[in-house]
Amino acid sequence: MLSTMTSLLETTILYSTPLILAALGGLFSERSGVINIGLEGLMTIGAFTSAVVSINTGSPWIGLLAGIVAGILLALIHAIATVTFNADQTVSGVAINFLAAGLTVYLVKALYDGAGQTPVVDSKFTEWAIPVLKDIPVLGDTLFNTSPITYIALILVFVSYFVLYRTPFGMRLRAVGEHPHAAETAGVSVVKMRYIAVLISGAFAAVGGAALSTSIGSEFSATTVAGQGFIAIAALIFGKWKPFGVLGAAAFFGFSVALSLTGQVWGLTKYVPSEILTMLPYLLTILALAGFVGRANAPAAIGKLYEKGSR
Amino acid sequence: MIGKLNRNSTLISSLISIVLGMLVGAIAMLLSGYDPIAAYGALFGSIFGSASDMGETLRTITPLIFAGLSVALAFRTGLFNIGVEGQLVIGGLAAAFVGLKLDLPPVLHAIVALVVGTLAGAIWALIPGLLKAIRGVHEVIVCIMMNWIALFLSNYMVGKVLSNNSDSTEKIHPSASIRVDFLTDLFDGARVHLGLILAILAAIFVYVLLFKTKLGYELRAVGLNPSASEYAGMSVKRNIIISMMISGGIAGLAGAVELLGTNEYLSINASLPGTGFDGIAVALLGANTPMGVVLSSMLFGGLFNGGNNMQYVAGVPFEVIRIVFATIILFVAANIVKQVGNRKSRKKKGENAGA
Amino acid sequence: MQMKRWLGSLVAVSLVATLAVGCGGNKDKDKGTAKGDFSVGLVTDTGGLNDESFNQSANMGVQKAKNDLKVDVKAQESKKDEDYVPNLTRFAKDKRNLIWGIGFKFDKAIPEVAEKFKDSKFAIVDSNLGGKIPSNVVAVTFKDEEGSFLAGVAAGLTTKSNQVGFIGGMSSPTIKKFEAGFTAGVKQANPKATVKVVYAESFSDATKGRSLAKSLYDGGADVVYHAAGGVGKGLFDEVKSRQAGKYWAIGVDMDQSRLAPEHTLTSMVKRVDVATFEITKQAKEGTLKLGTEVNFGLKDDGVGLSKNSKISPEVMKQVEEFKQKIIKGEITVPSK
Repeated sequence: MLSTMTSLLETTILYSTPLILAALGGLFSERSGVINIGLEGLMTIGAFTSAVVSINTGSPWIGLLAGIVAGILLALIHAIATVTFNADQTVSGVAINFLAAGLTVYLVKALYDGAGQTPVVDSKFTEWAIPVLKDIPVLGDTLFNTSPITYIALILVFVSYFVLYRTPFGMRLRAVGEHPHAAETAGVSVVKMRYIAVLISGAFAAVGGAALSTSIGSEFSATTVAGQGFIAIAALIFGKWKPFGVLGAAAFFGFSVALSLTGQVWGLTKYVPSEILTMLPYLLTILALAGFVGRANAPAAIGKLYEKGSR
Repeated sequence: MIGKLNRNSTLISSLISIVLGMLVGAIAMLLSGYDPIAAYGALFGSIFGSASDMGETLRTITPLIFAGLSVALAFRTGLFNIGVEGQLVIGGLAAAFVGLKLDLPPVLHAIVALVVGTLAGAIWALIPGLLKAIRGVHEVIVCIMMNWIALFLSNYMVGKVLSNNSDSTEKIHPSASIRVDFLTDLFDGARVHLGLILAILAAIFVYVLLFKTKLGYELRAVGLNPSASEYAGMSVKRNIIISMMISGGIAGLAGAVELLGTNEYLSINASLPGTGFDGIAVALLGANTPMGVVLSSMLFGGLFNGGNNMQYVAGVPFEVIRIVFATIILFVAANIVKQVGNRKSRKKKGENAGA
Repeated sequence: MQMKRWLGSLVAVSLVATLAVGCGGNKDKDKGTAKGDFSVGLVTDTGGLNDESFNQSANMGVQKAKNDLKVDVKAQESKKDEDYVPNLTRFAKDKRNLIWGIGFKFDKAIPEVAEKFKDSKFAIVDSNLGGKIPSNVVAVTFKDEEGSFLAGVAAGLTTKSNQVGFIGGMSSPTIKKFEAGFTAGVKQANPKATVKVVYAESFSDATKGRSLAKSLYDGGADVVYHAAGGVGKGLFDEVKSRQAGKYWAIGVDMDQSRLAPEHTLTSMVKRVDVATFEITKQAKEGTLKLGTEVNFGLKDDGVGLSKNSKISPEVMKQVEEFKQKIIKGEITVPSK
């Protein structure tokens, strides 16, 4: 029984970590009024860069930093296109996804002699046990003895909440996403705030990608991210564009996946085909949304072009 | 006069966007030691190079037109149908079911399969539509979830219902196929099928619907300003549901057409086909207009099919095409050339005024 | 106005594409045509050339043919299932003598193209085309169940907890063969042991693979075998985080020990390279029998356990005995 709970919890953590990070990234961008469909691409570039740099430097931390830089650079393209050049935000996000998918696989082929994936990342993140807390039953072995990236993800939930709701910076950022013209009148630079927010989203999503290639897994290939960026967008909306909402949504999804997978080990496949069991997380998410969560209100100015002085 | 000037500069700026996109691709190739001239020669040579290459290009374009129209139509009503992917899978599944399990005379069989595929796609899209209209649930999440459910449902049906526990179904009955000899012969054996004609018809349908009917007017009004439309007596909920169903129907038809024309069988798949996501790019690049969708599908399909040939002839990895395409989308979307020009002239003006 | 700007751009884009065709068009014709007296084309499925699985292995075989037999070789990756037919057609139009389609996903494309190009020879890996093999096609299949049986024997005799696990990619007959053989091997070698079977319904989601492995190990299994492509990478990530010498993983298709050197008990190696080389050689020498299925099993070294393994000598002895029994026909391994 204890081991079952441990498995469930561990799988939940495994699955939610990248989702939390990418969705938090999306949160900053969208709260400032910039849609970020490009989370998938930002995760991809982060996963690729951190894997390659970890392999070459032997340090996952340097890899992670490099991944963040790469994520910021790619997000910069999104920011320049949408904020400075007023490109349609969804179009730009889609382009970011295409760009990352093409570029990373192309570079893997170029760097590793035509290979479809990077070599194994030997120096990956290993579990950190937190003293004292690690001795708590179930929780100690899972939540308090896990990858540093998971701790980063959890800490970032609190930090994001604090920054967005308790600092002037956060207030300005949200104001820009709700009423950009009013904010501008009040002396807030819409352009500057949106640039910062989009770059933050690139950094966070890249850490999510790094989790996939240097913590949960240990290589990068074309299928490393495989749609998680889109699930992260779903988690962001499910979580109603709020940090703790995102945490809850990602954990809910991770737990549903854990149930469907652990269910197989319990032998549920005798009664339900595994294809049907695999649908479980997706069905549960829809049911939860339809039954309990309901209406979601996006930031008011999201997706709208903003031109200084025009109304 | 000014209009003409503007149009010219738009043309030039788009041309520059493409050249820039290809330049980025060329730089990527040069940096890793490939010959960009040979690569691009192979790419363009194959788009219309021979009858069969041209045929395969048209075959690639067909589902993109449908997917693009589907996304575009929903966009016009203010909905982001990111679920085209799943609606397409379900349309294909339904068409496969009709094509394999029913015995009908030719023509009628194909028509029934197409209609059932369309309906299946519409019903699949009805779920996010209903949830959005009734419960206010964001269609993007429901669509993303429905995509995966469609994939697993299709895999289950292939193995357990449509075949005797196999990886793929038999070929559909010939009576349900929409391949026709004259098209196949015209394009030297390429798999061009009636779907291409249906795609053009669908584009005309969407154009007429959106711009020539009262329903289309309402759909667009709801997309532009839901509260004003509500005030003017339109039902926003009703229009959301209708828009999602038509959008899903077009996506379902795309799946049916691919199944009945291109593949003629269904197999289990480890991942989603990706056509729906390509459709998003196609629709947005085509400014959500039917004509724009057709044109951007041509560009997209041509590049993608040409990319395969580029890999074949010049040995350049296909991924270069994705880089080139992404760059073109970005440059065109940002209208970067024109804006840089504007900025410069504005700056100049400012300096002059200052002096 | 906004719309018009967009449309204008698109018209321009399409125009340039067409113009460029006019300039760059015919230049490259015939360039792809095969040189040398015997030429081979190989089309991968969507896994790509270097998938560390059967595509890569198949390519190794034809590359060996290129070096040893001086045949001309060209390989092409497929990006979508819809690409199979045009990719095969390209090679056929190039008049390549032997054209390979790698993987069961070619089971509709190969007959379709073979029908149109009667003068070319085609070969498909991992499918017997339902027994209906055209007269210019050879179908190459593997007794995956026999190799998996030996993996099962090794697992059954190595386990201390009498619990072993199997992670499948997608529940399809191609993968069920692995499961059936493995389960039979475990039972024969160690009747007390139980096999827990799980499916990821994916071939790429490594996170899912790691989660499934976690659940299996947490549930008491100490040896886990996979036939799940990229999903299986997660198995190695999980086993690596556990005590070496106590928890084991068994790889598939190629020697996967590099993924977790201390934890990989062995790998069920499928010698697609042996098959593609042999068939290519026979085709070149004109001895290839077409219209038939060629089945590679333990007997032909088409499947087997990797040389590089951590199986203990005592267990290895028994594995060898079972191997001989299968080759002699004393044991028939189930494939379903």
